[in-house]
Amino acid sequence: MGTFLGWSITRPSNFAKFAVLAVASVALIIADARHRHVAIAVDGAMARIAYPLQVLAAWPATTVEGVWHDMRTNTRLRHENDRLTRDNRLLQAAVTRLGALSAEVQRLRKILKAPPLPGYRETLAGILGVSSGPFTRELTLDEGRPQHVYVGQPVIDAHGIVGQIIKVGPDTSRVMLVTDPNSGVPVVSQRNGLRAIVFGTGSLRRLKVPYLPMTADIRAGDILVSSGLGGVFPAGYPVAKVERVISDPNEAFLTVTARPLAQLNHHTDVVLLWPLSRTARTHHG
Amino acid sequence: MDNLTARQIATIAATFAVAILLGVMPTPGYAALLRPDWVAIVLVYWCIAIPDRIGIGIAWLIGLLLDGLYGSLLGEQALAKAFLAYLALRFYLRLRIFPRWQQAVAIGLLIAASDVVVLMTKSLVHGNTPIWGDTVPMMINVVLWPFLFPLLREVRRRAKIS
Repeated sequence: MGTFLGWSITRPSNFAKFAVLAVASVALIIADARHRHVAIAVDGAMARIAYPLQVLAAWPATTVEGVWHDMRTNTRLRHENDRLTRDNRLLQAAVTRLGALSAEVQRLRKILKAPPLPGYRETLAGILGVSSGPFTRELTLDEGRPQHVYVGQPVIDAHGIVGQIIKVGPDTSRVMLVTDPNSGVPVVSQRNGLRAIVFGTGSLRRLKVPYLPMTADIRAGDILVSSGLGGVFPAGYPVAKVERVISDPNEAFLTVTARPLAQLNHHTDVVLLWPLSRTARTHHG
Repeated sequence: MDNLTARQIATIAATFAVAILLGVMPTPGYAALLRPDWVAIVLVYWCIAIPDRIGIGIAWLIGLLLDGLYGSLLGEQALAKAFLAYLALRFYLRLRIFPRWQQAVAIGLLIAASDVVVLMTKSLVHGNTPIWGDTVPMMINVVLWPFLFPLLREVRRRAKIS
């Protein structure tokens, strides 16, 4: 009694315990990787528990940054104030002269004011965490399902494409960076329209552009912009700058490395894009 | 060998909570890649100190919580942490009598072994290739142990956990 195949059930050995839990882990891993819908309930519950912890963990960093920022701003403001008072007297005179021009400028600006990316709606999203675990480089954003974030949604910053949404939770979402080994972005070279795909390498500073024939016209300094071919990223937005092109006669293709243009290391906010066609669908049925 | 009081359980839970918070706290840029595995260090400490209280089951549950926090594949951290606890329980008598630095290296190796499990799962499921930078946190674990050990021992003595 109390044994199974000679193993004690009431007081299992460490090895027996580990064996059972290892099997359970592998089952969970397979369930998560193969049948997302099975694991999604457990995952959602975990994400709910995790959200307050994430916010709590982000708190010291934001506070310290805030205080540091305030202190620096204070000294800078005092110097600036002196300088500005002087400048102000000079500028007062200029303003009177420029008053007439201002009305015209305002009229022109209205004409010029077009959305930065036609066909897309934009929202600023805050970044909660940078790497979401050991050996991964993902961003965690503070926007989730209630904000209509969806899987496959493009994420950009002021300099280039950051990545795409791969997971949407109740309060957060995760971004796969363009530097992720699983990420591939269809691009064209801005100089000559050469088509290529940019893959991540796992390093935040390096991308690779494989499968380019030896005769392809590509050189260091070329800017690669998204081609929009995959249907995920907006066309014409910068992705990477070619750093090195190595032509090795022993290889079938060129070895091309590039640097991502988005500032993947310095983010506090990124921009989420919604194609307008999709927005219309979500809001009208 | 009496049962732990609620206060003592809370103390142990608090050390894990702090370790988890340190583990998910956002750090600027490259510091994130230098982050030691706080949870693993705390887990190994308790496994060595009170092996009949903290073991493979608790390690597995903590790993599962980490999977939720990291957003990694469910079961990935759970498997690694259970494996780590198993290794720690297997060697705890030897680890206790090692001199501090030797202890640090040995425990660093155990944690590295459990990290290899994580890297293997990642490369099996996602096809991620590990890069050299992945070994940096493993070395930081070794450097950190001689400083964290006295701290955790102090916590344990004050809470009279034995």
